Amino acid sequence: MGSPAQVKTLSCPNCGGGVELRGYARTLNVVCINCLSVLDASTPELKVLQTFQSKERVRPLIPLGKRGKLRGDKWEAIGFQVREIVVDGTPYSWHEYLLFNPYKGYRYLTQYDGHWNFVTTLRSLPEPATSRGRPAVRWMGETYKHFQEATATTVYVMGEFPWQVRVGETAKVSDYVSPPRMISSETTDGEVTWSLGEYTPGEEIWKAFELPGKPPPPQGVYANQPSPHGEKVKAAWKTWLFLNVLLFTVMLLVSLFTRGELVFDRSYLYSSAAQGEASFVTEPFELKGRISNVELAVKTDLRNESAYFNFALINEATGQAYDFGREVSYYFGRDSDGSWSEGRPQETVIIPSVPPGRYYLRVEPEMEPQGATLGFQDRRVNYRIQIRRDVPNHAFFWIAALLLLAPPVFTTLRSVGFESKRWKESDYSGGSGDAED
Amino acid sequence: MLKTPIYLAYGLLLIGLSGWANYRGWSFARVNEIRSVPKTVRDNPGSYRSPYLGYHRYTGGK
Repeated sequence: MGSPAQVKTLSCPNCGGGVELRGYARTLNVVCINCLSVLDASTPELKVLQTFQSKERVRPLIPLGKRGKLRGDKWEAIGFQVREIVVDGTPYSWHEYLLFNPYKGYRYLTQYDGHWNFVTTLRSLPEPATSRGRPAVRWMGETYKHFQEATATTVYVMGEFPWQVRVGETAKVSDYVSPPRMISSETTDGEVTWSLGEYTPGEEIWKAFELPGKPPPPQGVYANQPSPHGEKVKAAWKTWLFLNVLLFTVMLLVSLFTRGELVFDRSYLYSSAAQGEASFVTEPFELKGRISNVELAVKTDLRNESAYFNFALINEATGQAYDFGREVSYYFGRDSDGSWSEGRPQETVIIPSVPPGRYYLRVEPEMEPQGATLGFQDRRVNYRIQIRRDVPNHAFFWIAALLLLAPPVFTTLRSVGFESKRWKESDYSGGSGDAED
Repeated sequence: MLKTPIYLAYGLLLIGLSGWANYRGWSFARVNEIRSVPKTVRDNPGSYRSPYLGYHRYTGGK
C-alpha cells in the first residue's frame, strides 16, 4: 500500500462514464459514480445488474480512493453504502465505508450521527448467552448484551464491493454491546455474518485519512460509546473508601487525645414554691490547657414536665461570659397508637473555643407554675450539672462524612444518566435495568 | 486515588478542617458571648439579665 494506488479504469455500459476498479479480482460488483448503475465487475464488459435513481446524491465524508493509516495498517476506501432501519415509523440511516488492504482484506467503517466504528468480520462464532434475563452473546470471554434488532435496507451504494450489492436488499441485523465494542449479526437468506465493531473517535478517522476540517460532532449517546464516567465512578468510590478510613482514624485519634476532663459536678434541687431569687452562682473551677471547648450537661429527674435553664459561664478575671439557655422536657405516655415519648430528661451543650482560666457558672432554673387559676402547685426538679473540658465534637466528622459522599454520588448519577441515554435507543428503552452498568 | 486528585484534595481538606475544628474546640451551639460581666454578679446573681430570658417557651407534652 506504500505505492500509488493501482486503479483499473473501465467504461460504464449504461452511461459511458469512467468506472474505477481498485479491489482487484475480489471485486464482484462496482457502482458507477455517474449514473449509480450496479455493474458486474466479474465480466470484462461490466454487465449492468441494477440501475436506480436516487432522490439525492450522498457525498461520502471519506472520498472513495482515499487512503489512510488506521490501527497500524493502511486502508483504502473503495465502497460506500447508506443503510436504513425503520423504528416506529421513523427511518434511521447510517453510512458504511468499505476499506481494502490487499494483505489484510476488507474492513468497514460505520458512521451514525458522528459516531464511528471500525468493523472487522469475525472468524469465530459468538456463543448465545443471557445477561439478566436478556439475550446476549459471549465472545472471547466477554458478554455482549443484546441492544437492538431491526431490518436494514440498503438505500444507496457507491464504489466497489466483494459481494453482490443491490439497492433495496434487506438484512436482519442484531446488535450486542459491551462498550467500546459491539458485535453485530446480519442475516440474509439463512446466512449469518458476525462482525465486531470498535468505537473510534471521529478525530482518529480524520487524522488517519488526512481529511480537511473537523469530523461532525457526535450526537447523543451511541450503543457502544464508552462511558466517560465509567472509570471515574470506580476511582471516586475507591477514593471515598480511603478518605472514610482516614476520617474515622482521625475521629478515633481525636477521641483518644481529647482530655474530656470533668471540672465540675454538682447536684441541685429547684422548687417553684421556694421564696427568693432562683438564680445562683457556683463555686469557681479551673479550665486548663489551650483554647478548647467546654461541655455542659444538665441531667434532671423530669417526668412529664419541662424546665428551662439559663446558664452563663463567666470568666472570673475578665468578666467574659458565655450565655445560653436550654429547655429540658420529657413527656411520655400511652394512647390509641401505643406508647409514646417526647424529649429527654437531659441536655448537653458544647460551648465553643473557651480560653483557659478560672470560671464560675451562673444558673437560673425556671418552671412554669401549673394551674395558676386553680391554685398554686409546687413544682420541683432535681438536676445535676456536669462540666467537662476539651471533649470530642463528632458533629464535624459526621458532616465531613456526608460531604465526602457528594462527589462519588454525583459521578455515579452522571454515569447512570449516560447509560440511561444509551439504553433509551435500544429495544429495552421501557426499562432502565442496564442503566447502572 | 491519583485518578481523582481534586476529590482527594477536597477530602483531605474536609478531614483536616474537622480535625482542626476539634482541636480549636469549635461548636455549632447557639451561645451568646458577652464581653464584660460586672463582678457584682458573683454576689448578686439576680442582677444579671440573660439575653435569652423571655425567649424560651414551654412546648408541653404530646
